Amino acid sequence: MSASSFRTGLLLCLLLVSGCSQSPELVRHRQFFALGTLIDITMYDIDGAAAEQAGLELEQLFMRMHADWHAWQPGILQETNRRLATLEDFPADPALLPLLDEANRLSRLSDELFNPVIGKLIALWGFHSDERPDGPPPDNNRILELVAQQPSVTDVTLHDGHLRNGNPAVRYDLGGVAKGYAIDRGIERLRARGIDHAIINAGGDLRAIGRHGERPWHIGIRDPRGPGVLAAIELGDDESIFTSGDYERFFDHDNQRYHHIIDPRNGYPADSATSVTVIHTDAATADAAATALFVAGPELWQTVARRMGIRYVLLIDRNGTIHMNPAMQQRVRFDTEPAAISLGEPL
Amino acid sequence: MTRADWLLLVAVIGCLPLLYTHFWSREGVARYLQVQEGNQPARIIDLAPDRELVLEGPLGASGIEIHAGRARFVHSPCPGKNCIQAGWLAAAGELAACLPNRISIQLRGLHPRFDAINF
Repeated sequence: MSASSFRTGLLLCLLLVSGCSQSPELVRHRQFFALGTLIDITMYDIDGAAAEQAGLELEQLFMRMHADWHAWQPGILQETNRRLATLEDFPADPALLPLLDEANRLSRLSDELFNPVIGKLIALWGFHSDERPDGPPPDNNRILELVAQQPSVTDVTLHDGHLRNGNPAVRYDLGGVAKGYAIDRGIERLRARGIDHAIINAGGDLRAIGRHGERPWHIGIRDPRGPGVLAAIELGDDESIFTSGDYERFFDHDNQRYHHIIDPRNGYPADSATSVTVIHTDAATADAAATALFVAGPELWQTVARRMGIRYVLLIDRNGTIHMNPAMQQRVRFDTEPAAISLGEPL
Repeated sequence: MTRADWLLLVAVIGCLPLLYTHFWSREGVARYLQVQEGNQPARIIDLAPDRELVLEGPLGASGIEIHAGRARFVHSPCPGKNCIQAGWLAAAGELAACLPNRISIQLRGLHPRFDAINF
């Protein structure tokens, strides 16, 4: 070996060590506010111009869905609810119909523990506002009246593109599924642009496709009762991870916390879990399942998970015990070993 | 090999740990702050020097403190103050958001521990 080739080789080694590091340009982010939360798009191995165009398209898509599906601002959903209340046939808006169909299907699958037509109950609890001020809960009699009317997706029928509702208590609130459904549509758009490695994260609920270069995507599951991360998990190509928790939207009154996940069976915030994390391929199913399993609680979560085809669940009950199925246990790595784990049967 | 070759070899071997530390082992080290104000293009803010930023949202002004490479909300016109309760952001990837005032801050770096946080 000549002296010059030896030196060149050494310098190349140095360049290799420094050059192989992850360049910041490999990961692109775009953030915007929509659907009442912060949307974060992470794209891997894509040039700046393509990321900019994709981010802009997704921002426009999410803003349109935000306007169409908003539960308490004028838009297609509010108009649909107004017409459903008339109990007469009317043509369904095509911008809303696929989402309604999906919400109805998931509700039936969940034994209606995820119930997208309890909008009147949710409004009664004051959660049809951007930030519910502290104050007393609603009157018990008014809650029981609405529960007794049993609003159900089976009250709504679709035929020849027309909707008809047979129950005046029905009012759609798509908060338990719209975010997931929107993420699914966003992923479709990214793929149509040839973007195969990305995450769409809507306020902490997300779907990931592809990989982060040579490794899978690394996701932290936030501790619902403290700062920091409860556990780490790697997501495979095309998986969604959604968490429903009692800490997301709530108000306090007389030292009692009332959160936004209402149990449709009794009209009160579901109180046997503090958070439920599920993993599933499509985000809409993961979204609805997280809500349904939160309502199901530690007694019923396995039954409902099987019905909904969910293979990975982590539920924390109000005593802090972590309930998981074995497949989930094999995937999560806890930052601190939990005090109590209750391992369920395989799903 | 000449004496210069040997010196070069020693220098390269000596540099390797430094390069490894710099490029591969700095998980979580934040390099800059990404600020999102409404749906305007994100701004990149250096984490030095220490200072306070005032960001305008639809509800009014939110105050962000940058100190010793960390960042936090210090005042906000929102009713819930969840953004302030989030406390200091110290590691790459950590995020605090004020949804009512449509402002978010997130530390970014080359090697965040997580690509995203689920909650």
